Amino acid sequence: MWTYVARRLLQSVFVIVGVTVISFVALHMGGDPTYLFVSERATAEEIAETRAKLGFDRPLPEQYLSFAAGLVQGDLGNSLTYKTPALDVIALHFPATLELTIVAIILAIVISVPLGILAALKRGTAIDGGIMTLAMFGQSMPSFWLGIMMILFIGLGLGWLPISGHVPVLEPLLAGDFGKAFGNIPAAATYVLMPALTVAFFSISRNARLVRSSMLEVLGQDFIRPARAQGLAEREVVVGHALRNAWLPVVTMIGLEFGFMLSGVVVVETIFSWPGLGRLVFNAINQRDIPLVQAAVVVFAVTFVTLNLIVDLIYARLDPRIRLT
Amino acid sequence: MPSSLRNPPVNGDAHMKRRLALALAGIAAAPAMALAQAPGPNTLVVGYGTDASTLDPADISSRDTANIAQHIWGTLFQVTAEGKIVPYLADSYTESEDGTKLTFKLKPGLTCHDGEKLTAEDVAYTFQRAADPNLKFTGNTPGFVFSSLGYRSIRAVDDTTVELTIAKYNPIALGMVGEVYIHCKDSYEKMTKEQAAQKPIGSGPYKFVEWVRSDRIVIEKVPGYTVRPANFEKVVWRVIPEASTRTAELLAGNVDIITNVAPDQIDTVNKSPRAKVQAVSGTRRIYVGFNQKEMFGNTEGGKAIRNAKVRNALQYAIDVPAICAQLLNTKCERATSLVNPPNGNPDLKPYPYDPKMAEKLLDEAGFPKKNGVRFEIVLQSPRGRYLNDANVALAIGQYLTDVGVKTDVQLMEWASVYVPLIRKKEAGPMFLLGTGGGTWNALYDMADLSTPTAGTNYTNWEDPEFFSGWAELSQKRPEAEQRATINRMLKIFYERGPWLLMYFQPDFYGVSNRVDWNARRDEKIYINEAKLK
Repeated sequence: MWTYVARRLLQSVFVIVGVTVISFVALHMGGDPTYLFVSERATAEEIAETRAKLGFDRPLPEQYLSFAAGLVQGDLGNSLTYKTPALDVIALHFPATLELTIVAIILAIVISVPLGILAALKRGTAIDGGIMTLAMFGQSMPSFWLGIMMILFIGLGLGWLPISGHVPVLEPLLAGDFGKAFGNIPAAATYVLMPALTVAFFSISRNARLVRSSMLEVLGQDFIRPARAQGLAEREVVVGHALRNAWLPVVTMIGLEFGFMLSGVVVVETIFSWPGLGRLVFNAINQRDIPLVQAAVVVFAVTFVTLNLIVDLIYARLDPRIRLT
Repeated sequence: MPSSLRNPPVNGDAHMKRRLALALAGIAAAPAMALAQAPGPNTLVVGYGTDASTLDPADISSRDTANIAQHIWGTLFQVTAEGKIVPYLADSYTESEDGTKLTFKLKPGLTCHDGEKLTAEDVAYTFQRAADPNLKFTGNTPGFVFSSLGYRSIRAVDDTTVELTIAKYNPIALGMVGEVYIHCKDSYEKMTKEQAAQKPIGSGPYKFVEWVRSDRIVIEKVPGYTVRPANFEKVVWRVIPEASTRTAELLAGNVDIITNVAPDQIDTVNKSPRAKVQAVSGTRRIYVGFNQKEMFGNTEGGKAIRNAKVRNALQYAIDVPAICAQLLNTKCERATSLVNPPNGNPDLKPYPYDPKMAEKLLDEAGFPKKNGVRFEIVLQSPRGRYLNDANVALAIGQYLTDVGVKTDVQLMEWASVYVPLIRKKEAGPMFLLGTGGGTWNALYDMADLSTPTAGTNYTNWEDPEFFSGWAELSQKRPEAEQRATINRMLKIFYERGPWLLMYFQPDFYGVSNRVDWNARRDEKIYINEAKLK
């Protein structure tokens, strides 16, 4: 297994280098970013001076090599807008996105799996139809619309939950301030619920359908009949035998979703004023803050590669027929 | 009991609708639980669209960040809401005969927030630090103020006197000096650039408390600060990027002032019991440029707009008040020049919407209709940069097409595509743009066209009569003596200038009913002037 892990890690290096080259070229294809960092009334000389200060006057290969050299040493340069190390800016925003993603994934699993199982067990009934209709509704509903509706009805109308904002838990936890971290949990829960539900809604819908079809497939297989013949309770048959086998595609999907959510919750973070990474990167792209975008790309690439590796390892654990060679 | 008996199925649809209506009414009537979010009597919360990028006074470049910064730092002078320049940290100033030396006398007893005495040496250091090439600052002070000033050097004469040297007499010097945030030498000399970007030490009415990135900046009233009195003990600048969320927070009573209310939400806010919208005509000048650059000379439209008669004719083709009313949801007066009112030429009246006149003038200019078309032209516009910009551009395109100028509207992404085109002066031949202006001096607005080669002359306009006005102006002062020349230049601009005159972009602020605060035209937000009703 360790050989497999080592090989995957080596592959990851190539993936990360490839991703940085592609993103670097793509970002520079957008033209000279200097114009966004000078005043409207800057003269040609001032623009040239600023270009030199930002380092965009050097040839592109030289700029990339300088970035790559920094990357090896863990230095991804300074954000052009924040004027501080890009990694520090990312580190400040990462915990908020991680909190949102973790809660969204938990909600997605906790809600979608029982719904999927229930739909499979009640196949063809009104319950199945209802769950699947809801799932279709959830998959076709844009997250920005759902978010705004939640704000209007739950936040503004009923006043049950805060409209927007964030109370940190992970950040103080990582800083070793356990008292603050745990003390913040009740308030944080109220703030995270609407954005996490908005993020999770699509996953809940998709995963409920996935669990249902996966369960139906497994429940129809031969090994289920002997389980029942042994006199096992239905609950034992469903959870102990069927669900364990039906998990495989769900685990794959959840692993990938986790990666996507980390980088792709821009809309939800914007609507709920959540100070996370997605919004940061979106703004950085708009502001042509190339070092910050590059650093984020590296972080995302590493996260994806790591998550994929973890999914593969879990896969092997769940299905011993899969060998990591 | 069977449910069918509890809920008789008579007119079930109407019953369902009644239940839904009751639920919605319940939602609307339910008192929004504050959830400990509503600000207390000593705190004011501003809902803001963007986070600050840096809090280093020499690196601040955006208006949004500057609005926070101007509470943390004082400046030598300050522009009032009415466009008057008044002393702030400075007590008075004198100017040398040739106008190249400005001597400022500081108010007595000034201090920075770390307790350090603020002296002339600190003022000199502020300028010198921003100008230091080794520190590579790219903010408004080194990137715009210094070039506009013609900054050369600065020195402390004594503890309260500082002398600024500029290249030549500059009628807008005081206003420019008023954009430099004064900070203390001892504290900033000890800081790295990274520290200075995150933990500022100011000299204004509020001191920095905390900055939670992408979430909020908190500032607190400085006890005993008498130079600019402040009313609220604490001000929180909350980052709420989505306009509808900002509105929801305002209506829930969680924020007191919000910026950039979306035009379609104005009625909702005004009908609520919690807040009202203040609409002001901003100082940003929205116009359509006629680019005279050689590269467009070989296109039909590019050639046509080099003709001053054509440019003048097109002024009559656009119904600007209708665009404002329909697309910006407000009334606005059409601009008569590139200068903000009240500093423009009072004799100039906005062009009326008169398509017949436009057609007549186009005929006279030698562009008769052939198969309904006089000539074809491209109008480029950013999408999402200015208020409803894409729709405004499309409307302009339609108005021009209606008088026979077949217009192809090209909508573009701002940062990567449009800005480089504009900066290279290659947008066009017609392009929509908005440039910042001021209320305090006509020449500040006119500086966009200070020379034919000025970076902001995006139209490559070269009218010798207009540009010769600048040489005349440099011989005259004070401003009263310059007025005749300014008015003549603005008349030339009105009649044959390179701008299709549009409007000053309206700004919409949502203001809680508990707060007494008035929005300004120049996008500056001064919270120290706000108070509880």
